[in-house]
Amino acid sequence: MSEALNKTEEIVKKAKALGADEVLAKTTFGRYRQVRFSNNQVDISVAWNDYATDVALAWKKRVVATKIYNFEGVDGAVKRLMDLAKISQENPTFGGFVKGKFKYAKSNADEKLRELENPTDYVFEAINAAEKEVGSKVESGGILFTKFEDVYLVSSEGPTGVDKRSAIELSIRAFSEREASGHGVECSSTLKNFKPERAGRKAGEIARLAKGPKAGEEGVYDVVFDPLIMGSLLATWASMASAFMVMVKLSAFVDKLGQKVAPEIVTLKDNAAQYSLANRVFDDEGAPTKENVIIDRGILKTYLHNNSTAKLFKTETTGNAGLVVPTAWNVEMEPGDAEKEELFKEVKHGLYLTNTWYTRFQNYAKGDFSTIPRDGIFLIEKGEIKQSLKDIRISDNILNLLNNISMISKERQHVHWWGEADPPSLAPYVLIKNVHITKSR
Amino acid sequence: MLEDIADYVLKYAVDKGVKYAEVRAQRQTEETLMLRSGILEAYVWTVDSGFCVRVIADGGIGFASTNKWTKDEAREIVDLAIKHARAANRSEKIVFAKEKSVETKWDVRQKQKLENISPEEKIAKFAEINKALTSCGVNIAATMLSCTVNLISKYYVNSEGSRINSFIPRIGAHSFITVIEQGKAEQAYQQFGYSGGWEAFKEWKMEEKIIHDAKVLKDVITKSKAVKPGVMDLICGPNVTGIAAHESCGHPMEADRILGREMSQAGRSFIYKGGPYWIGTKIGSSVVTIVDDPTIEHSYGYYAYDDEGVKARRRFLYKEGIINEFLHNRESAAKLGTRSNGSSRSINYDREAIVRMANTFVLPGDYTEEELIEDVKYGVYMKSFTEWNIDDKRFNQRYVGREAYLIENGEIKHPLARPVIETTTEKFWKVVDAVSKNVEFEAATCGKGDPAQGVPVFTGGPHIRLRGVYIK
Repeated sequence: MSEALNKTEEIVKKAKALGADEVLAKTTFGRYRQVRFSNNQVDISVAWNDYATDVALAWKKRVVATKIYNFEGVDGAVKRLMDLAKISQENPTFGGFVKGKFKYAKSNADEKLRELENPTDYVFEAINAAEKEVGSKVESGGILFTKFEDVYLVSSEGPTGVDKRSAIELSIRAFSEREASGHGVECSSTLKNFKPERAGRKAGEIARLAKGPKAGEEGVYDVVFDPLIMGSLLATWASMASAFMVMVKLSAFVDKLGQKVAPEIVTLKDNAAQYSLANRVFDDEGAPTKENVIIDRGILKTYLHNNSTAKLFKTETTGNAGLVVPTAWNVEMEPGDAEKEELFKEVKHGLYLTNTWYTRFQNYAKGDFSTIPRDGIFLIEKGEIKQSLKDIRISDNILNLLNNISMISKERQHVHWWGEADPPSLAPYVLIKNVHITKSR
Repeated sequence: MLEDIADYVLKYAVDKGVKYAEVRAQRQTEETLMLRSGILEAYVWTVDSGFCVRVIADGGIGFASTNKWTKDEAREIVDLAIKHARAANRSEKIVFAKEKSVETKWDVRQKQKLENISPEEKIAKFAEINKALTSCGVNIAATMLSCTVNLISKYYVNSEGSRINSFIPRIGAHSFITVIEQGKAEQAYQQFGYSGGWEAFKEWKMEEKIIHDAKVLKDVITKSKAVKPGVMDLICGPNVTGIAAHESCGHPMEADRILGREMSQAGRSFIYKGGPYWIGTKIGSSVVTIVDDPTIEHSYGYYAYDDEGVKARRRFLYKEGIINEFLHNRESAAKLGTRSNGSSRSINYDREAIVRMANTFVLPGDYTEEELIEDVKYGVYMKSFTEWNIDDKRFNQRYVGREAYLIENGEIKHPLARPVIETTTEKFWKVVDAVSKNVEFEAATCGKGDPAQGVPVFTGGPHIRLRGVYIK
């Protein structure tokens, strides 16, 4: 047993000795590196070393949590936490942390990402790829982020585990003109599968096509969604599948379990798979992560649970526990049987959208929202891209979009960027019919 | 402890021969409680402390942080920061605008110290608010109330001789409610924030405001009518004026955005060198003056010195309708040949300080709210908003009314169901013809940066009247 795991276990033992009913401790030693760039130059390089233990305990259904840094002040922190529990209030819906001894899958983390100290070269690979597409006047900006975490989890209820989690992602936005840009991302859990030039090339291709944009027009369009913008939609649907979001009505999926919410071609899963930026073999309670089918051929099958919400919904945990509420890890949309080009051919008069930002809801329960496409908005006429557009907004309903999916590509991409497409996802090209577009007047 | 390690880190960095170095050491106690429909989900208490170093070496910037308080670790992060700065290999070397060094201490006064408020009292306060909500005569199907208390001690030191100690207590709260009437749901979110002590609640009137929200939502479901789309006048309440000022004035006036440093994530600005808008360009009517002011006592965005040790002051962003002054840190100021105006903020020791707003609002005018309304023949009074967004150049924006009413012949009539204004920054501010005397501030968390840094700010402001805008 490693020293870190021993020390994590000691925290649990100390809390138990003070009278806690249930205790969870998760230690993360994280090494995070980031390079931020703009106007084709590196602006800042950042390194974070993080040594933290998240501790949650329950005493007579009173749930309290804290964080201990670098195993310092453990005795005081645990005592303070117990004192807090004793003056806190009972949470009658607390169902306990998951119980049992589990065998976890082996982590596939890439040790090369632990040692990677100077990732700046990858940034220039992406910048150069964008430049090849656009020419020397390209202006590119973005971030490169790497992560390596050693995670040690001990629960008084049985689970004990060690995990290693690695990730590398690059996000690049290339401008060919002031109002013509493209955005590409490259995401992987291993250095071997990380191809930064791919993101640069895609950003450059879109930026080149996006030159000379005209103001778009309001209307109802059939829209081809690029994997990057699909990542935003998938993240929204998956977040709304969290049982906690359902309970507080920050979800359009309330009372819809077992109902048809999408056409039969739609299957959505949550899967903290090894390829994903969000790879992990257990959740924050120590339950093994697994593939969960949220929507199975159009039918809403499950919400995402921790042990407490699972009990409330009379089901089993799905392995989605965060320390307080359940959360999606990595969303996958099952591929369709169409080539990407076939989606475009299907559109007589429509749009191709490549990215979006600033998604905001009027009403989560109903699903009314708007979001602002950016980085390559294209008019499609008779299956072909005819004109670059700008200054439009999707103003629609999140359930309508799900229900109006009509075609899905075979090709999928692992995408994530900032808070706009988060959690990460495995997203195809998708054709959605009758999407409402508005603009400024 | 903060001073000892920070001074050691600074000396170590300077001895390595960097052009510039600064160290921020921070200790932050945070307590958060969350009530879901009256049930305390969890009470979270943390003491986070760590330090960071930022250096300029060979014209590049390197930043590194840790929460391990050892000298070995301190040396490691300095070495990392220097290595990373040098790896940037920039053709255009980064310099900071000149700034006087300062040695000072500042803090925020508390009437009722947050340190002295027990967890029981905090929990009881929110349980009481939830109880009042559930007995207000509206069918509230779900509530979520949360409260976060922060006590932030910070020590800032740089290689130019600045040395600043600060202490800021801060309290914030959120409410999210869902009202169901006649089988239909409506929702409202509110945020509250204050720099200071537990006396915040006297300022907030939290219970009263959330109950008001609940009643408004009920009226929206049971009494509202759709607006007939068309061109009409619009009166914006402080909530709407505030979000418009924040989104379409504050953000586009951030100099790092103007220079492209945020081009990939938060985006650029409709203001850029060689473009149609720059300092001196008319962007609004002459009654529109929008300031950003961190010096408002007890405001959520209050600070006396920014995170580069620059003294805070009021910034006139749009002045009498003219683009006047950008928000700067020392890096952006040097690039545009000016001085920092103290707009550099970081949310914690592990985040780079970047250009941020503090409290952004329209300066008050001469009108009463009644005078604004009585001169409207046909229009909308949008008192608060629900959905909102703006494009990444900060020009095309949309606000959807939560509490809104039809105005006919100078009188407020029935509630309206989610009226929408979707327009440009220039169209919005150019048609403002009157501004009210009274200012009401509201708390918000402004998002920017990667990793995201949500900083506390005030929005809000006076009522404003817009003539002839398209509402749907």
